[in-house]
Amino acid sequence: MKGLERVLRAVRFEDTDRLPVVPEVFAFSARYRGVKVRDYVCDGETLAACQLEAWRDFDYDCVFAFADLSVEAEALGCELSYPEDSYPYIVRHVLEGSDDLTGLRLPDPEKAGRMPVILKACRILRREVSEEALVVGNVLGPVSIAGQLLGLERLLYLMVDEPDRVKRVLAFTTDVTIRFGLAIMEAGAHVPIVFNPMASPNVIPKAVFEAFELPNLKRVFEAFRRAGSPIAWMSTAGNTSTILPLYPEASIDLATIDYSVSLSDARRMIPRVAINGNIKPFLFNTLDEASMKEEIARVIGEIGERRGFLLGSGCEIPLEARPENLRVLVEAGRSVGCGQGN
Amino acid sequence: MKILFSIQDLSEAILKGDGKRAVEVSRYLLDEGLPVEDLIHYGLSSALHSLDVKCTMEEFNLLEIMLAGRAVMRVMDEVVVRHMEGRIEPDGRGRVVILGTIQGDIHELGKHIVRTILMAHGFRVIDLGKDVPPQNFVATALSEGAEVIGISSLITLTYPEVRKVRSLLHGRGGKGIKVVAGGAALQQATPGDLNVDFVARDVFHALHYIKGGEG
Repeated sequence: MKGLERVLRAVRFEDTDRLPVVPEVFAFSARYRGVKVRDYVCDGETLAACQLEAWRDFDYDCVFAFADLSVEAEALGCELSYPEDSYPYIVRHVLEGSDDLTGLRLPDPEKAGRMPVILKACRILRREVSEEALVVGNVLGPVSIAGQLLGLERLLYLMVDEPDRVKRVLAFTTDVTIRFGLAIMEAGAHVPIVFNPMASPNVIPKAVFEAFELPNLKRVFEAFRRAGSPIAWMSTAGNTSTILPLYPEASIDLATIDYSVSLSDARRMIPRVAINGNIKPFLFNTLDEASMKEEIARVIGEIGERRGFLLGSGCEIPLEARPENLRVLVEAGRSVGCGQGN
Repeated sequence: MKILFSIQDLSEAILKGDGKRAVEVSRYLLDEGLPVEDLIHYGLSSALHSLDVKCTMEEFNLLEIMLAGRAVMRVMDEVVVRHMEGRIEPDGRGRVVILGTIQGDIHELGKHIVRTILMAHGFRVIDLGKDVPPQNFVATALSEGAEVIGISSLITLTYPEVRKVRSLLHGRGGKGIKVVAGGAALQQATPGDLNVDFVARDVFHALHYIKGGEG
């Protein structure tokens, strides 16, 4: 069974030949290939070459066309700083001091900022990977883009002080998520994954998520589904216990969760949503192979006999991860026969 | 006499992020004769402490914390500062104190309270903000002629950064400048652990030391 089929079957709660392994390998692949992170995030060919090398060496089930969390923000006018060997970060939020929150225009993904870098990576990855593995393109969720544009502090205060104004910003950022996601699919990605760090209940309470983000996520995933995405996939770190039960309302069918939520709790809360997670990322840096193997066995044990599980890290594999531990993760997936289901 | 509000009401208003009510309750309590030290200690700090407990239980929520913080600042700016004007001896006499949250941490609420109290006592406070590298504390202290550097942190991960400040300071000839640490994480440590001159339990403990007491 090829990686693409394995992942799609697992998300549909069907049996697979083994447990799919979907670790969030991003710029780890640059370090692995000896490439500086700045070159990785700025050049689609380099990004794709790093992803392909890591995928071929480790043999997991997906590749990611993902540079960093600031791609959308930069395309909309935020200024970034680019350290040589770590991720770029925002130094000026485009709407931070602005009274007019409605002046931004939708970006053209073929031209704006580094969006073309991601599209180029998608094209190369799909050409090289074809149907052997899942090709994933990353796009930020509406509330996360809004946080980048306004600065998180301003976004959060505005949610309380001027909710209608924020809703107008979020309607716009929802359009950004959709437009970029659709462009990613057109460029060859099988699936866009919605990264949504600011939707985490560690940032906004459940009630705010329900009022401000959930309706927009419905719109996002409907648009992706109509365009042919076989999976509605969202990744949100932190303790997502309170919002996981809401995921089916946005027709999310694959949830990436991190170690803050136990798999035994998650499987109870979202019985019909596939789960990707949740080995603690930092352990990839620190554990030896034997301890890593034990930890993975413990985590797989928590999910029990359940279809709809894809082994992963729940958050990014750290740049400093020990490659041996990623190998242990992939081997652990192989050793669980017939997938997770019986 | 009918008691309208208690200190408990103040804590609750802070935790709900209801700045308007927090201001109203604070004014009432001070008018009724509650010492401002008690207002801060039992009303504001205790509310912040319960947020801190939630943080360590990983139940925290950034929005709630920010709203609580904004409510605390409203009380400090609109009630406490005005209440202290004319009531206290401004015996800081313009002596300079550098304040900041150490690199690796972005929590500022406790530091804001310290800043307000020190300024009310007549100190000139230079607030470097949050996520401040150790060398910035030292450079500013030397260029501004400060007598005290106040380092704040809510999280224990920052201990190694805190430890650097005094060594950097002494390496640059700033031996006369005292280094004071405070905040939820740092107050659990000893001065030796943190390589500082003094660890303050709370804002008034810090104030007493900075004014020349022995803590």
